[in-house]
Amino acid sequence: MAKDRNADSDFKGPVRRVLVATALFFLLAIFLIWRIDSPRVERFRAAFIDRVVPSFDWALVPVTKFVDMIEGFQSYAALYDQNQELRRELQQMKSWKEAAVRLEQQNAKLLAQNQVRLDPKLTSVSGVVLADSGSPFRQSVLLNVGLRDGIVDGWATMDGLGLVGRISGVGETTARVILLTDASSRIPVTIQPSGQKAMLVGDNTPYPPVEFLETPEQVRPGDRVISSGDGGVFPAGLLVGEVELGSDQRLRVRLAADYERLNFLRVLRSHPAEQITEAGGLITPPVSPPVHETINPPVPVGDAGDG
Amino acid sequence: MVDPLTTSRLAHRALYLGLVATVIFVRILPLGSIPSRWPGPDLILCLTFVWLLRRPDYVPAFMVAVVFFSEDLIAMRPPGLWTALVLAGTEFLRTRETNFRDMPLLLEWLTTSAVIMLLSLLNWAILALFMVPHGSFGMTILQALSTIAIYPLVVAASLFLFGLRKAATGEVDALGHRL
Repeated sequence: MAKDRNADSDFKGPVRRVLVATALFFLLAIFLIWRIDSPRVERFRAAFIDRVVPSFDWALVPVTKFVDMIEGFQSYAALYDQNQELRRELQQMKSWKEAAVRLEQQNAKLLAQNQVRLDPKLTSVSGVVLADSGSPFRQSVLLNVGLRDGIVDGWATMDGLGLVGRISGVGETTARVILLTDASSRIPVTIQPSGQKAMLVGDNTPYPPVEFLETPEQVRPGDRVISSGDGGVFPAGLLVGEVELGSDQRLRVRLAADYERLNFLRVLRSHPAEQITEAGGLITPPVSPPVHETINPPVPVGDAGDG
Repeated sequence: MVDPLTTSRLAHRALYLGLVATVIFVRILPLGSIPSRWPGPDLILCLTFVWLLRRPDYVPAFMVAVVFFSEDLIAMRPPGLWTALVLAGTEFLRTRETNFRDMPLLLEWLTTSAVIMLLSLLNWAILALFMVPHGSFGMTILQALSTIAIYPLVVAASLFLFGLRKAATGEVDALGHRL
């Protein structure tokens, strides 16, 4: 029996080793190919996720809602205090609402006077967050809109209030949003009111730092940060958040979007800004038509047969 | 006919895949997207090592490759690298599985800790070498440490929930071969 077993393993051992070595080789090859030609492999990844994750969909939504409900129950403990606080806030909100209505009327009047035409192309597609990235080192979410909804790589994504991230990786029915907190996220921003340009650099922490500031002295905690539209990828003027001083004395941004519950996201249809490539041509007086053209009979109109 | 041992082996493989799917499912639940300060343990790696050192035939190499490659794709990791490292790690442990049988848990824990730490460091170093955006060094170490910390819990859970223990001396499989 022992002899038998040895014969068996003599045969199986080397074959197995070769197979494992081949698998290792292929895996490392895939990594190298990914490093060299990332878009192709990422397309494969998007297709894979597009196939796999929506099949979890039936369970993802109920479980998420259930956990949200439990969190909701926990907040019953502070119900009375919350109620009082909400009443106070409501009072304040009423006065703000008055102010907002007045401003809206004023704004409408001014727009009418100026005959401003808002960009009709800046429309959005709304999507529901399907899944998280599932890794502590990558910050991204998966939306349930994709190629069939016309989503394109690079479009900006917002929740109700602020910028959330950009689309990176589109499948047939899903699209991945790289959040502003991801280590690979770089967004050009403007800091108001000083109007300084900077980059918002994600670093896997809840409050991404602002880098490449010309004069940091002019920036104070509490300043508004909006997207600047530099580079032509993002539309300008989207609210990102406000500046605050991190515990490491770096300027960081408290994001306006509620990352705690990303539920519905709006993907902004942005179109590449038109490029002006040529310098303005000379403006010359209209050239008088050449003589022989007047001799020719006029080109017949209407018998082209395309009507 | 299908003999009971093969059935049990297939059932346990299915159970392993089910557990892995559950862990991935829980991790991708969209419950708040704030980056965490303390990266959680890599439960799938832990589970794989524990099962491998108990019953290597429940976690064959091709399943390890498939599971980790799918996880690579879903968790937005560079595809292939972590799978290759884990496959190499499991093969290293698999060839020494018989040595682990009469080893106390503490010694087993130390050995696997070393393997987990080595894999994490190698992964980090290779990512840095290829200039792939990766997590910070501290986070990598923290994740390896929390994976190591949870190892005895996974051992206990596998024992009490699924009755997974090391092959006893003289235990035989369906064909009378020693395990």
